[in-house]
Amino acid sequence: MRKSFPVEDLARDERFVRVPITARLSDGRQVPRPTAGQRRNGGRLTPDRPDSPDAARILMHGIFMGEVQALEGAGRTCWDFDVQNTARKKADADAADPATAGEPSTPEVPFELKLDMARQCWDEARHTEISVKLSEHMGTEIGEFAEATFLYEAACNPDPVLRLTGVNRALEGLAIDVFNTMREFGEVSGDPVLEFCEDWMLADEVTHVKMGSDWLRKLTEKDPERRERALEFQRVVDRLFSLGGFRGEEEDSPVRLARRFRELAGFDTTEIDELAEDAAAARRDVEAQIAQNREAATAQ
Amino acid sequence: MADPKKPRAPFAPWDRRELPGIFTVEESARRVGNYKWIEMRLFEVLGGWVATVPELDVKLRLGTHCYHHAWHAELWHKRLPELREMNPDRLTAPANDQLVAFVDAMTEPEAPELTIEKLVGAYRVLIPHKIAAYTYHLNNTSTITDAPTIRSLKFILQDELDDWRDGEMLLQSLIDTPEEVDRAAAHQAKLEKLMLAAGGIAGPGTLGLGATSNGAAPDTQEAVR
Repeated sequence: MRKSFPVEDLARDERFVRVPITARLSDGRQVPRPTAGQRRNGGRLTPDRPDSPDAARILMHGIFMGEVQALEGAGRTCWDFDVQNTARKKADADAADPATAGEPSTPEVPFELKLDMARQCWDEARHTEISVKLSEHMGTEIGEFAEATFLYEAACNPDPVLRLTGVNRALEGLAIDVFNTMREFGEVSGDPVLEFCEDWMLADEVTHVKMGSDWLRKLTEKDPERRERALEFQRVVDRLFSLGGFRGEEEDSPVRLARRFRELAGFDTTEIDELAEDAAAARRDVEAQIAQNREAATAQ
Repeated sequence: MADPKKPRAPFAPWDRRELPGIFTVEESARRVGNYKWIEMRLFEVLGGWVATVPELDVKLRLGTHCYHHAWHAELWHKRLPELREMNPDRLTAPANDQLVAFVDAMTEPEAPELTIEKLVGAYRVLIPHKIAAYTYHLNNTSTITDAPTIRSLKFILQDELDDWRDGEMLLQSLIDTPEEVDRAAAHQAKLEKLMLAAGGIAGPGTLGLGATSNGAAPDTQEAVR
């Protein structure tokens, strides 16, 4: 089996349909519904919204797909990288030229990092199971909505530090925001099953983000340049996942930044403030895009 | 009320544990290092296969079992320093080159239509061999001096048996045609031959027969009889 597994080869049964994020975001049909004002996403998820059952089902299907890809990404991190000392011994043994001894061809990670990723595999497998059950509970089914593969794409970074930062801090951080939003929706809509499950998943996600924060700190302790590259990659991923104002701190943001849980997971206030500012900028961008699309639609 | 002054035997009448065991500290450490190595290879490949299998139930089981074997590797990693191996990486090694060849062959399948081969390698070949090796170790080590290894072996064996059953049931549910029976059997035979050449997950002598890696018959290495 190859080291590094491309997103286009992700194995799926016939129920799944993929839509690239670029196609989704550049879709000219992305104009706001008359009831949603300027919001592309329909605003905050509340039970009084007429479309809230559908919006909640769409979000739950998105969570399900995210969990599947998070499982796949963590699994690949178990496989794609060698354990530090094992890799070194093998490289020494393989090297014909003593000058190249100790230079492994596959990137190395600590044994304990792999153990964390294996633990994450189990957690994500459970989250997938929970999401399938919740999807049935909410009246949707596997494959009803399209799959976006951006989560797994972030999990393909060949540098383990960047991969961990992009997945465990940016994406799992998004999961904290999403699960907190869904938990609150379960609470205000009187759905104790949804609230209960989301609260459990939220606890796991805080653990996963903390893993990312801890490994970023440990692996780049003596390499500030690599840490900066990793944080920049995280910012790129975070901007992508602000999804044109999908996440933010405004009252009508479909997904709210969960400051308290992010702090528990190792984010400092400055980082969260930057995230909020990036999300606000992404929202301004998409609102401009929507206005452009609307003008084009009117002109036709 | 019991008389607090009355002497009692240190071993209760129903406690039949005995001192003798066939493994020295060194032999036990060697085996534990082999166990850690194979558990690592197994959790890595199960994690890697998750993205390659289209069957959702298989995907989720592989993800769950990946953690089980990682936890086993961690248990063995922590046991090594307690067996006087202060550098656990030194003994984290395959029993021999033949076992490396087995692992290479077992981890080779990648294509989405090869789920049967993937599951056969893990659940019909490797895990049964692990169960055998762990059971042999459990039944032959000193129940008093090596109690920490026994405790780990019992936890691990419970996982192995549960996971083997999960994997076997998945396989039975996937194998639909006589051709698929042949495919599974052919792959199993190929891998079994490689495992035979390796002598088991701890090399020749894994089950007390044949020689150990240093040439000594394992049953002659009795620490206390």
